[in-house]
Amino acid sequence: MSFRRKLLLVFALTVFLCVGAVSWIVSTVTRRAFERASEDQTTALIAQFRREFSRRGEEVAHRVETIAGSETATRMALAVSRGSTDYSAYVNEAKALADNQQLDFLEFVDSSGTILSSAQWPAKFGYKEGSLPAGASPGGAFLRQEDLPDGAALSLSAIRQVEIGEKPIYVIGGRRLDQEFMASLELPAGMRAMLYRNLAKGFSAPLLVGPSGNAQQLAPLIEQVQQHQQEATALLHWSGDAADDESVHAIPLNGLDNQLLGILLVGNTRRPYVELRNRIRSAAMLAGSVGIVLAILFSGWASSRVTRPVEQLAEAAREVAAGNWNTRVPVDSSDELGALAESFNRMTEELLQQRERLVQAERVAAWRELARRLAHELKNPLFPLQLTVENLVRARQQSPEQFDEIFPESSATLLAEIANLKTIISRFSEFSRMPQPQFQRVQVNEVVQNVARLLQAQLQSPKHSPIECRLELAEDLASIAADPELLHRAFSNLALNAMDAMPQGGTLSLRTRQSSDRVVVEIADTGAGLTAEECERLFTPYYTSKAHGTGLGLAIVQSIISDHGGRIGVHSEPGRGTAFMIELPDNLDKLAAAG
Amino acid sequence: MRPSALLLLAAVSLCLAVAAPARTRPHYGGNLRLAIGEAPISVDPADVSPAGKSMPPSLSRLIFDTLVTLDARGQAQPALSPSWQVDPGNQRWLFSIRRGVAFHDGTGVSSDAVAASLRAANPNWKVFATGEAVIVECDAPTPDLPAVLALARYGIAKRTGGKVVGSGPFAINRWDAGKKLVLTARDDYWGGRAFVDSIEIEMGKSFREQTIALDLAKADIVQIAPDQTRHAVLEGRRVLSSAPTEWMALVFSRDVPSAQDGKLREALGLSIDRDAMNNVLLQGGGEPAGTFLPNWMTGYAFLFPTAVDLQRARQARNAVQQAPVWTLACDGSDPLARVITERIALNARDAGLTLQTTTSAVADIRLVRMPLPSLDAWVALGEFAGSLGLPQPKFDVDRLQQSANASTEYAAESALLQSQRVIPLLHLRTAVALSANVMGWQEDPDGSWHLQNVWLETGKP
Repeated sequence: MSFRRKLLLVFALTVFLCVGAVSWIVSTVTRRAFERASEDQTTALIAQFRREFSRRGEEVAHRVETIAGSETATRMALAVSRGSTDYSAYVNEAKALADNQQLDFLEFVDSSGTILSSAQWPAKFGYKEGSLPAGASPGGAFLRQEDLPDGAALSLSAIRQVEIGEKPIYVIGGRRLDQEFMASLELPAGMRAMLYRNLAKGFSAPLLVGPSGNAQQLAPLIEQVQQHQQEATALLHWSGDAADDESVHAIPLNGLDNQLLGILLVGNTRRPYVELRNRIRSAAMLAGSVGIVLAILFSGWASSRVTRPVEQLAEAAREVAAGNWNTRVPVDSSDELGALAESFNRMTEELLQQRERLVQAERVAAWRELARRLAHELKNPLFPLQLTVENLVRARQQSPEQFDEIFPESSATLLAEIANLKTIISRFSEFSRMPQPQFQRVQVNEVVQNVARLLQAQLQSPKHSPIECRLELAEDLASIAADPELLHRAFSNLALNAMDAMPQGGTLSLRTRQSSDRVVVEIADTGAGLTAEECERLFTPYYTSKAHGTGLGLAIVQSIISDHGGRIGVHSEPGRGTAFMIELPDNLDKLAAAG
Repeated sequence: MRPSALLLLAAVSLCLAVAAPARTRPHYGGNLRLAIGEAPISVDPADVSPAGKSMPPSLSRLIFDTLVTLDARGQAQPALSPSWQVDPGNQRWLFSIRRGVAFHDGTGVSSDAVAASLRAANPNWKVFATGEAVIVECDAPTPDLPAVLALARYGIAKRTGGKVVGSGPFAINRWDAGKKLVLTARDDYWGGRAFVDSIEIEMGKSFREQTIALDLAKADIVQIAPDQTRHAVLEGRRVLSSAPTEWMALVFSRDVPSAQDGKLREALGLSIDRDAMNNVLLQGGGEPAGTFLPNWMTGYAFLFPTAVDLQRARQARNAVQQAPVWTLACDGSDPLARVITERIALNARDAGLTLQTTTSAVADIRLVRMPLPSLDAWVALGEFAGSLGLPQPKFDVDRLQQSANASTEYAAESALLQSQRVIPLLHLRTAVALSANVMGWQEDPDGSWHLQNVWLETGKP
């Protein structure tokens, strides 16, 4: 990853983290504020419920008081005190009085708990009242379970005693805690109140008064309150949309005997909070996005400012690596990067100077080597020349007959050595006059086969031990652009070297194969092989391991291969022969340029 | 107030009503206004609609004559047919047709018209017109055919083009199905012109609405609920009660499937406190019933136990290991039925039975209320059995003709009750409240009205 990208990433990450942190803090603070507000609203609603409960309780108590003081109640109490059990006289009284006083429930019960008249269950006269509060005495209203023909109901009831004579009767009146009661509560927006009538074990949806949605979701909360008889709160997920979530607070409502008769459920929607949270998130996302874009722009600008010298340095370094040692980096600043650029420039300048010195040294060394080789090469024929001429002079001085006798032999020797000198000079001349390759489409296999064909006569010459020539040519070898003459020369040179390396006979292998877009030619012998040191110096001009070699053959081969953009390598071990590997590119671009 | 006192009060009221003509002479004219709870959807006597939707027999008889009528003792009396004959097998009857009688549209009541009307009322009969008589052939011996023909649904009607006309003392002047019926007295009625010129009947009114209509002088005659009769009397209204006629009972939807179920039905019947129901809930507006027919009609009904016997009920209940929860249905629009079912459920609970009250049409048990169909015991039993889907009581014709009817009726009724499809509860009285100007009120023991004899007093002489 480039430095600029890293810088950009750091900038973007920083902006993102900052925006995220801010939005998280804002969300947390908002959530807490909403929770506090929700708690306050719930508390206020519960207080309102209690006030309404109390107000209606007082109203019920007052109405029951009125009924207890009515002529009907008095008459009933008188009849009961006299021992009358004629229910027919009262059976409809409770209903009439309840209607008159707008009570949902009204019962007259004698001291033994027997129902004299019931408004809510007229047929129940003569039966015992199952839920007459123990020690029923005048007081405020209380929560009570009313048994009805079709089940049970929850009521806000009051009880009054009518005592005439020895046997009092009780007036139990109440109003149903139902939807109408819950509807009388003034609910803030987003809140709702429900009442669960705890008239059965466990949870039963029909016992829930008020809007509920999927009431079954309230079951765990209801059962928790039923089990512990303590307030509880739960967060209900009504749908997959978090805005539909509702925080529900459950408050147990007990009757006179501390029996859990109802559960007030106060629901507070989390929609405003969720919507605000979503808005905060959207704003954070927007701010984050804008910040990241700005960060990209800013970091791009900043990083360009910071990284341009670095990139220039990197580019310059690449140029230097590619051999362009004249590369210079502009120095635009006086900071660390400027110092680095100056150092780089000094370094390249120093490298240039060192290269010049190296070239000079190499040139001197080359001349010395050339001089040494020339001296060596020339000294060898010169010495016989000198000896022959000195013999001729000596013979001429001693006797003309002896001179005549040795003259033909000496002149032949002189001519041979002079020819040898000419050969040496022509090879040096040839090396200095290596032509540039003339590229044309070439089938390397054909070149290799031509070389093998030309060598065939020498291979089978009786002058030396037999050498087998083995051709292993790839059939699918692609044609390349090359100079066939030069290639022929190079391959011939290597093949002749291989033959020279096998004075005792052996096998000369000529192989070709395709390697990607390159053609590989391998020329191997089974001769004595080369040492590692010999392999290293093999392509050095004028180096030779032969007794009469000039050391220019392989240098010429390397020069030809190099002019074709190829590579040549050698693999050899003493006693295991030598193999030269030549890789030639297809050079088709040069063919197009030439054509 | 005790039922006996109520009866006394009703009798006094009746005497006052009967004595009224002694004070003032009957006179013609005036518009008699009634408010009733029933809301019939058709005037056709042959239409059999559910209870509350069919025309009350008392009103139907104002429009449609029957061939025969029953007197207060249940004896057949000539009406549109002045005489009749029966073959020895009691299957083929010949009814002569009264001459000179005309339908309300002016056409004469011929034997053909009568035969057509009877065929429409009972397709199972073979009815032929022959001269000035009709022959009715039944598929079985029917010794009580005249009493059957006295039923309102056999009123003679002429049906032309969807219109139904009768030959009764009143002709239809206006008919709003289920709402209002206005009748006009016929001057040429063969039995003599009714006293009032017209009768206006407001239908489908609750008891409360009827009472208000009476109080506001918008009605002259209204019905009083059985449980409100005493209250109405105490309020000083002019209330006339019938003998206990309306039958209230529990009817099981199916036959006894097993002996265990029979035990449970027995337990239910024994657990019901009919006295408490009658005395408290009905305010003495009826009498406990253990039979289909009231005691005043048969004289043997008291032999059937009606008292609660919780001990035996529990024994019967305990004879069965596990009792099902029965559903007990009643007419949701009938407050009296509702409170009675609630009481029955409470009583059943005392015996260890669980009844779930409902107003659904489908239930294991249904509380039914049926008016006494006929003053003829056999006809009434047959009507009860037919309505409830019970087997028709079998006539032993010879025994029927040789011995007193009571024993055969007793046997027939016992057989019906032994099926355990029915648990009789009460016989209720029907009651009406009259405005002060209604005179000449006459009522049969079964509660049938004779409005053609009523006249209105317009002022003091």
